[in-house]
Amino acid sequence: MPSTFDRSVPVWIITAVTLVLLMILPLGWLGWVSISSEQGTTLANYVHVFSDPHLQKALWNTIVLAFWVGLASLAVGVPMAWLTGRTDLPGKRVIRALILASFVTPPFLGAFAWVMLAGPNAGLLNKIYRGVTGSDEPLMNIFTMPGLIFVVALYSFPYVYIMIVNTLELIASDLEEAGAILGASRFRVALTITLPLALPAIISGFILAVLQALALFGSPAILALPAGFHTITTQIWSFFQYPPKVEQAAAFSIPLLLATALLLQLQKRLLGRRGYAGVGGKTGARRPIPLGYWRWPALAAVFAVLACTIALPYAILTKAAFAKAWAQPLSWDNVTLANFHFTFFEYSATRDAIINTLELGIVTATVGAIMAALLAYVTNRRLVPGHQALGFLALAPVVIPGVVLAVGLFIAYTKPPLVLYGTLAILFVAYLTKELPVGYAQADTTFKGVHPELEEAGRILGAGRLRVLREITAPLARSGIIATWCFVFIGVIRELSASIILFTPATKVISVVIFDLKEEGQFAAISVLGLFMLAMTFATVLLMQTVLGRDFIGAKD
Amino acid sequence: MPGVTLRGLSKRYGAGAGVAAVDDLSLEVKPRELVALLGPSGCGKTTTLRLVAGFLTPDGGEIFVGDRCLSSATSVVPPERRRVAMIFQSYALWPHLTVAQNVGYGLKFKKGLARVERDRRVSEMLKVVQLDGFETRYPSQLSGGQQQRVAVARALVVEPEILLLDEPLSNLDANLREEMRFEIRRLHERFGITTLYVTHDQAEAMVISDRIAVLDRGRVAQVGSAEEIFQHPRTRFVADFIGRTNLVDAVAASSEVVTRGALRLHVATASLTPGARVAVSIRPHEIAFASSSDGRTGDNVLSGRIRRASYLGDAVDYQVEIEGTDVVLRAAAPAALRLKTGEPVSLVIRASACVPLPE
Repeated sequence: MPSTFDRSVPVWIITAVTLVLLMILPLGWLGWVSISSEQGTTLANYVHVFSDPHLQKALWNTIVLAFWVGLASLAVGVPMAWLTGRTDLPGKRVIRALILASFVTPPFLGAFAWVMLAGPNAGLLNKIYRGVTGSDEPLMNIFTMPGLIFVVALYSFPYVYIMIVNTLELIASDLEEAGAILGASRFRVALTITLPLALPAIISGFILAVLQALALFGSPAILALPAGFHTITTQIWSFFQYPPKVEQAAAFSIPLLLATALLLQLQKRLLGRRGYAGVGGKTGARRPIPLGYWRWPALAAVFAVLACTIALPYAILTKAAFAKAWAQPLSWDNVTLANFHFTFFEYSATRDAIINTLELGIVTATVGAIMAALLAYVTNRRLVPGHQALGFLALAPVVIPGVVLAVGLFIAYTKPPLVLYGTLAILFVAYLTKELPVGYAQADTTFKGVHPELEEAGRILGAGRLRVLREITAPLARSGIIATWCFVFIGVIRELSASIILFTPATKVISVVIFDLKEEGQFAAISVLGLFMLAMTFATVLLMQTVLGRDFIGAKD
Repeated sequence: MPGVTLRGLSKRYGAGAGVAAVDDLSLEVKPRELVALLGPSGCGKTTTLRLVAGFLTPDGGEIFVGDRCLSSATSVVPPERRRVAMIFQSYALWPHLTVAQNVGYGLKFKKGLARVERDRRVSEMLKVVQLDGFETRYPSQLSGGQQQRVAVARALVVEPEILLLDEPLSNLDANLREEMRFEIRRLHERFGITTLYVTHDQAEAMVISDRIAVLDRGRVAQVGSAEEIFQHPRTRFVADFIGRTNLVDAVAASSEVVTRGALRLHVATASLTPGARVAVSIRPHEIAFASSSDGRTGDNVLSGRIRRASYLGDAVDYQVEIEGTDVVLRAAAPAALRLKTGEPVSLVIRASACVPLPE
């Protein structure tokens, strides 16, 4: 008796084909255009971009930026992770929540806020400094390389933090106590036992922070361009200013792509090795280490960092949104709601952008969550031959920086048969590709938590595969899939680096409008839009934490 | 009630030729019989069970239930149409459904069964497993033993032709496990469903099953009642896996005697080929201590010296070096007999207790 045709097969096949198209088409075109010219294939584009001293400078700037951001993120992230993960530091829950807030704050909003805080002339902190000291010099100038490193690191250190706090939770206290009983002081234990055990996570956190800095477009565009220097991403963007030099953009994108891929591979290796006993299993209880009289200085240091990432930027954004003139002192005369009216009702670009952003956010999150769920299901249950390849493809876009993806999509979809440029569809494709790895990872975790025997029990009692999917798998995976939706949505509404290359006047999104407004010096409208974006983000985060019953940094606390 | 026939079943994992998890396995389970598939991990017992369940497609061979062919290399009846029920190692209770919903799930697929009738059967089955009153609980609110009973009820309520159990007791603590062995046997006697029971625990297999199939590297090494397998193991693997035993590698001197150095043993058969290599299995409790050589004719009498004595409460475990050989035999003796390390002893082993195993 032959079994009947399995109706689920076409679903898997469609998913697989879509995935190949999302990835292969843009990257294939990117590679091809980078070696083509009117005369045929050539390496001239590469020779050009690597011999031009301006472009060499941009390359070097990016390396400097990424390296220092990596180090700065470690310097902040490691102690913070140790303090909140291992010690009796007070206020851990609040600290954790604030770090999470830094994690979801769009870095380019942070950069804007810091322009208002530490611009050399009008920057609030500089004005206060001058007022207090009577000096003519500013305290700090954010439009410099150190300023850029500072701002980028503020929003990259949470990657290091999350990485390490999750590892620390796996290190049993008895490993540390064994050191203490042999006579080591508590800081010596931290240095000689805890730190080495967490070393793979630390290096891998460093790599994540470096990758952030490499791929970032917004902060360099806001801080480096006025300062008169470029990074790779801003340089690629400027290739698209009139007249566009697509071939050079492509040739300049490839090294960034390779560097990202290489670093991620390195990170994967480090984490995969897991040679250390005690990391990777739950052994024994964890008892917090008493800090003694160091508690309060440590707490002050932690809050100083969080003031720079959250309190000061959010305060200045709020002030600017409600003030007639953001640089003037706080007073009732200066308070107004006109900025909100202007942004939401008068300025036509913002209204359209909000609608576009919401539309793209909802559609991408929905399609992305469904796709991620299907892919994760197929790979977890090994439903098709070559399922490992599908999982790999779903995670692969992680190596593609947004700007590079945009260049590939621009090339691939400005020519027949698929002309998507100028429509929201090309942004949708970009967002879907970019967010797929995050969505897939979340969905994968979800299905790993649904034991296959739960489905098999349904099958053997008489339910077909699709019925089991509907009645057993779907209800069990629901909260995980909602979380997937939220992850993708948050990623989409803040996206700038791909949007900035792919938008057209009719398809602007909020982040692009914010960028435009900056050119016009409309700080009040920027702040209003920024607050709106933050409000949407935090609402989504809340929804996600409610369905998951925990925050997304790691295990339940 | 049909039986199950596995005929030349094969399943390979991995690319190309792969690794054979099940290799030309044949087994006949009679109607209403409970057969345990027993073996160490990696012997193919779970793969065999999953082949019978229809979760896997065999690379070769066939599975019949009665005269219905359920699986062959070319066609497999999907699990939901096999009229088979299974109890999983993890219990696989659905956490989002109540006890009653879990148990009643399979009844939804019985055509023409009214809702009232479904509810009646569910509550009846819950009584059988002593869980009446637990209908509206969720699995997470139950103890391990109770969850186990829900899993049993869910499988039995659909009145399957075949019941499959995959190490169902391995997640329970020792006391409960022993209790559940008798419970499962009781339910089997009550419902008489043809059953395949996978376990790696020989005591469990002995208590629960009518017959035991010992699996070794994807094949059936021996099938028989617990007593047959224990008393007359047919391979070295079976002798070693079931119960503790002494294995002596020797050479056949005649049709009924083997030797190893100075050691000569009369064995349980008279069909050995002289010169052949033979392993002999001797159970520790078959070895008796004698004050003098008072064995009857045909018994093996060996002299040796106690190397180590381990007091175990109800018995003492001795390691005895056999004089003039490199053989050390383990022998179990009542605790009343206290022999000291280094003491010379004389051992008596009946020829029938020396089971020769083909290499």
